[in-house]
Amino acid sequence: MRWESAIPNILAGDAQQLACQPMDNETFAGFYTRSARPLWAYLARVSRDPALADDLMQESFIRFLAAVHPQDGEVAARRYLFRIATNLLRDHWRRPQSSSIEEIQEHFLAAQSGTALSDSQVMLGPAMAQMRPRDRQLLWLAYAEGYSHHEIAEITGLASASIRLLLFRARRKIARLLRQQPSNGGER
Amino acid sequence: MIPFTCPREKEVADLLHRGHWPQACPQALRAHVHTCRACSDLVFVAAAFQAARAQSAHVPRLESPGALWWRAQLRRRSAAIERIGKPILGAQIFALAVALVIAAGAVAWQARQGLHLVSWLVRLPQALNFDVLLPASWPHLGSGVWLLVPVLSTIALLGGVVVYLASERH
Repeated sequence: MRWESAIPNILAGDAQQLACQPMDNETFAGFYTRSARPLWAYLARVSRDPALADDLMQESFIRFLAAVHPQDGEVAARRYLFRIATNLLRDHWRRPQSSSIEEIQEHFLAAQSGTALSDSQVMLGPAMAQMRPRDRQLLWLAYAEGYSHHEIAEITGLASASIRLLLFRARRKIARLLRQQPSNGGER
Repeated sequence: MIPFTCPREKEVADLLHRGHWPQACPQALRAHVHTCRACSDLVFVAAAFQAARAQSAHVPRLESPGALWWRAQLRRRSAAIERIGKPILGAQIFALAVALVIAAGAVAWQARQGLHLVSWLVRLPQALNFDVLLPASWPHLGSGVWLLVPVLSTIALLGGVVVYLASERH
């Protein structure tokens, strides 16, 4: 037996893993088409760096395919993908860098990426810039992706019980920041 | 900060999640949202994030899924080879260490015994009567040493070939 034919069996390992075969090319293409843009939006908004979002998105999909992922349908697969992306973001922030991503202004990044500032970027960008990365993650997962507290806990690795409080604080803060912006008519 | 959660917040969140806000929202609930800070924050923030999500989704230029799929396959294969190679390398190192320990022990034991093994090896062909296999005209220099050397050389050569073939197969 040649090693090429032996590898899938070795990779499969035990019975549980045998039930979790990797996606084939066509299934992945469909999943990628539906999931890539939301994932990129999440990474770009949370990291505030479109180039980094590009890199992390590709790495997330490669790790997703290379890993044995849950076979509970596309919703679970997408949640797993977001979890990988969240871990990659965390690793990126932990790595020592010459210039911190936190120090780079949103408008600079938007100008660098060569895209015009949309209404939502103008409105949400400055407010998001004042939020902590973890709060940005929680807010995006909850209000842009519509994940429940339990799902957010699964993706971020935080305790499910603390999500409610963290999200409440983050939501109150960003609501205040958004209302303070001139485009929203100042503070109510 | 103690989180204040309005009892109607979940109702509002469900409407937002299903895209029913504000068109399919009952008038009473809409009036409540105007007066409740928690619910108005929820609606305001959710609307901002939904708009941002819709805008961001048009920005990226996506790489071909086929290219990503192949890169993942290559990574899977590399990981598998690495996983297979680890125990084999470990076993090889262990076997080499055991062989070296045994060889060192044997040499030490022989040195203590006065190198009797060497003389025994020299006498071995005579003890096994290998001399009868040699032609009568064969010079009797060193007796069985003439046989012992090629036999040991052949064993060493065959051992080398076996090790080479085994490593090629891996």
